[in-house]
Amino acid sequence: MAVGDRAIIGQYWPEDSLVHAMDPRAKFLLSLVLMAAVFCAATPVALAVAALFIVGFYGAARIPLLQAVGALGPLIILVLVTALLNVLFVQGGQVYFEWGIICISEKGIQSAVFIGCRLFLLLLGMSLLTLTTTTLDITAAFERLLAPTARLGVPAHELGMILGIALRFLPQFMTELGVIYRAQVSRGARFDANPFKGGMRMLTALMVPLFASAFRHAETLSAAMEARCYHGGDGRTRLDPLRLTWRDGAGTAAVLVMLATVIAANFIPV
Amino acid sequence: MRLAFEQVSYSYAGAASRKKKAGKKEKRQADWGNAPGEVWALRNVSLTVEPGEFLGVAGHTGSGKSTLIQHMNGLVHPTEGRVTADGADLVDKDVAVSVRQRVGLVFQYPENQLFANTVYDDVAYGPRNMKLPEDEVDRRVREALLLVGLDADEIGERSPFDLSGGQQRRVAFAGVLAMEPEVLVLDEPVAGLDPLSRADFLALIASFHASGMTVVMVSHSMEDLAALADRILVLSEGRVFALGTPAEVFADAAALKAVGLAAPAPQTFASALREAGFPLPRALYDEATLAADIAAALGCGDGAASAPDGGGGRG
Ligand SMILES: Nc1ncnc2c1ncn2[C@@H]1O[C@H](COP(=O)(O)OP(=O)(O)OP(=O)(O)O)[C@@H](O)[C@H]1O
Ligand SMILES: [Mg+2]
Repeated sequence: MAVGDRAIIGQYWPEDSLVHAMDPRAKFLLSLVLMAAVFCAATPVALAVAALFIVGFYGAARIPLLQAVGALGPLIILVLVTALLNVLFVQGGQVYFEWGIICISEKGIQSAVFIGCRLFLLLLGMSLLTLTTTTLDITAAFERLLAPTARLGVPAHELGMILGIALRFLPQFMTELGVIYRAQVSRGARFDANPFKGGMRMLTALMVPLFASAFRHAETLSAAMEARCYHGGDGRTRLDPLRLTWRDGAGTAAVLVMLATVIAANFIPV
Repeated sequence: MRLAFEQVSYSYAGAASRKKKAGKKEKRQADWGNAPGEVWALRNVSLTVEPGEFLGVAGHTGSGKSTLIQHMNGLVHPTEGRVTADGADLVDKDVAVSVRQRVGLVFQYPENQLFANTVYDDVAYGPRNMKLPEDEVDRRVREALLLVGLDADEIGERSPFDLSGGQQRRVAFAGVLAMEPEVLVLDEPVAGLDPLSRADFLALIASFHASGMTVVMVSHSMEDLAALADRILVLSEGRVFALGTPAEVFADAAALKAVGLAAPAPQTFASALREAGFPLPRALYDEATLAADIAAALGCGDGAASAPDGGGGRG
């Protein structure tokens, strides 16, 4: 019910599309450029242009926008809280409402809407990567992109492996947390009661079993990996080597056009 | 306490959006059949858990057993229909909270839910949540540990994580027993135990039932259910496939096979022998009674001269 039943942000959405077929390394880098483009948008017009492009990319990925927004789930709250803080802290222009230290003004509302939209677009842009790329591919891309730093002593392969395992086990832990939650509720725990009274005890009742299970998983996983002769990254090859194709060229072009258009749109007077 | 399920349906997808759709209950009813994406974990389940009975729950994997028993203390609420405890609907939060003190639910692998620093504190978690006075908590912890064959003085101050798997399960069990429930609901209580601990645990559960507790037990072992249960509920794809005494439920081995279950081996063997012409009068057999009746049938030489060959061939 409360914990563990929700879909997790950025779960893979299987589909047969241009975006899905792109090289994960390209997607990884392009999603950074895409985020930069959203950050470059300084006016509502530029933000609208960025939004149009992102909607277009979702179209190319054949992912229904509503699903993507739904998958953001709890992160929407983050957007709303940020917007709310902006309403309260940005002052200026006409004052609509004043009560004690709370003061809602024209500028505050404007900035809240703008920042809210920008953050929302950022999240949508980020989830485009996770929705169209399997965690295995994301890890592989991460590892390959870090590879040049290996000469400087950065453990690129290990970091990639850690990321991959972490992503893989997130849903597992959510499920287990759900079971633990229900078991403790069955024993009379009331997580909906006063969170300040006995809050620590409630937290331990959930977190200790969860950590215990994490360690258990870690032990069995490492044993299973060793049993299959895992010995780190040296000399490992991939079943499906990453290859750049024309799709990656097209994607790069599209995102660069977006960046340029958004920057140009900043100069359109409102 | 009498737990009654009235036309209960549950959908994991529906549960998430139930709040939004609360007003459209009638419409949801029509969803079945024309919405292929909608998967019901339970569908139109009606049954009553009578006070003092031992109800076994069987069904192939994914048939909805765990989902069903989580309805019994209001952990999940039906998407359609209702669950009542002595007539009070469990949807009501206060009812659910009070029912949780009277219905003890032991999850599968309960040892994974241990968390306290000491065995004593872990077992005391439930009673303390019930806001009982500390001397009553102490009495219950000692009694519960004793019931599962552990000594509070000997083991109470140890960390539950230092115990063996079997001991951990006993402690987790004690944690539920310490709430002194009227109804004990167990989800595959002997999964993953060695044969000796299995037998110990089943004897323990049988003794709770003998002392007057209502027991609901989910199990994959038809032998265990046949030996212990008064009634057996068989679920298949979320629906009630059969509900009756072990003899009734295991009478039709072919139908059971169709839903992925097998009647206990002695029972299957008895039906095969009966087909071959053996006179076997009982409705339900275990190893001992079957052996005795076969011996009796052979000893009398009762109209089955060729039966031993037939029986031997099948065995
Ligand atoms: N958290 C969940 N979210 C979505 N669907 C679920 C969830 N838990 C169970 N289900 C689905 O509900 C159905 C019933 O599951 P349930 O766990 O009740 O089966 P079960 O009879 O206990 O199986 P098992 O014998 O394997 O324990 C299954 O089809 C399962 O896939
Ligand atoms: Mg189950």
